[in-house]
Amino acid sequence: MLGFLVGEAFRDLRRAGRVAVSAVVLITLSLGALGGFWLVSSNIGRAVAKWHDQVRIVVYLKREPSACDAAALLERVRAMPGVAGVVFIGKADALRSLKQVLGKDAGVVDQLPANPLPASLEVTPSATAATPDGARDLLTRLAVLPETDEVAGGGDWVERLAHWQRLLATIGLGVGAVLAVAAILTVTTATTLILHARRHETEIMRLVGASELTIRLPVLLQGMLQGLAGAVLALGALVITHSVVA
Amino acid sequence: MIELHRVSKVYSVGPVKVPALREVSFRINKGEFVVLTGPSGAGKTTLLRLLYRDDLPSEGDVEVLGANLVGLGRSQVAALRRSIGVVFQDSKLLPVRTVYENVAFVLRVLGTPRREITARAFDALRAVGLSARAQAYPAQLSQGEAQRAALARAIVRRPPLLLADEPTGNLDEAMAAEIVAVLKDIGAGGTTIVLATHQARLAATLRRRTLTLGGGRVMKDEG
Repeated sequence: MLGFLVGEAFRDLRRAGRVAVSAVVLITLSLGALGGFWLVSSNIGRAVAKWHDQVRIVVYLKREPSACDAAALLERVRAMPGVAGVVFIGKADALRSLKQVLGKDAGVVDQLPANPLPASLEVTPSATAATPDGARDLLTRLAVLPETDEVAGGGDWVERLAHWQRLLATIGLGVGAVLAVAAILTVTTATTLILHARRHETEIMRLVGASELTIRLPVLLQGMLQGLAGAVLALGALVITHSVVA
Repeated sequence: MIELHRVSKVYSVGPVKVPALREVSFRINKGEFVVLTGPSGAGKTTLLRLLYRDDLPSEGDVEVLGANLVGLGRSQVAALRRSIGVVFQDSKLLPVRTVYENVAFVLRVLGTPRREITARAFDALRAVGLSARAQAYPAQLSQGEAQRAALARAIVRRPPLLLADEPTGNLDEAMAAEIVAVLKDIGAGGTTIVLATHQARLAATLRRRTLTLGGGRVMKDEG
């Protein structure tokens, strides 16, 4: 019996022809769009979360403090809200770092008459300060320190990325929703056509005393088959795209 | 087998009430071959529709195969129809299926085991003399053949009751005679048959019990 009903569902799909194909294509597109945007968005989200941990704020000092003053300054900064950690980088440390960065060209640094690099504090914001508002507040607090010459860094670019991630997710939902509505309308049209094409079968089935389940199941099955075909195609396309990109 | 008690049917066309049957009462016994005749609009089709519970009476009781059809649930209606074969003026064959597939379709729909379907379908086709045309499509059949295929579909379940609504209405005399002969054969096997026809000559040649309808009433019950 089930074999007969499944056979009837396939017969209906063949009857619906191009409309059924359109329905499957639209289901594939809507699920593919949703899945594609979700994949991109979640990957960016993961990157944003990772890069949030690497956000640093650099406070350039007017002059290099003595060891005693530097320790006191570190204490004051550490006590500020939104600060997870702080490291003092003296002028000599900064020069060493620059030499490391320059590598084989590090010799040019020795030509300088004096060390031009300022001493600085490298501040790691806490999780609460690693947001646009939190980072802005922390920057303001650090900028008003009497020792501060200039404050740089922050997570603006990370926030911009997070903004793009949210935008992508929203666009994905929007495009997916529009395509989903189109898919629903197409499936409805295909089902209506099938119901129209099946009207003689339905009439005979009712006339000979078929159960309601037997009458309705072929139509339900053809709808399910369209959905399944669309989902499998969308999943296949996403898997292939992912493997190619990866 | 069939008993109608003061059955009336009124159709509402907007605010207008159109009576199709007025206080019709009769009884048909098991194995009888009854001809229902009368001019167009006499109420024959309405009466048959009440018998296979395609419609409900406005008043009165309809009893078929021991069941009062007023107040039956959907599943009970389906169960009742499994015991009734129906044939219409247009054969209502499924155009995209062969004659064999049309007949077998009914058995498949009702969950008949696959091994029985072929044998029973060909039994029915042999009974109407159409086994040689089993693989033909309805468009390839003459009207008489199409009507015989519809008869095969109606009897393939071996129902105890067969209702035929103007099965010869579209046929010439020779083809109509073929159908009548097939119906007589089916009736001889013990099936109760109710044949509705507006062809008074056909009714007369059948020499069976004849209920004549007129204006929604039973005018005569002869034979």
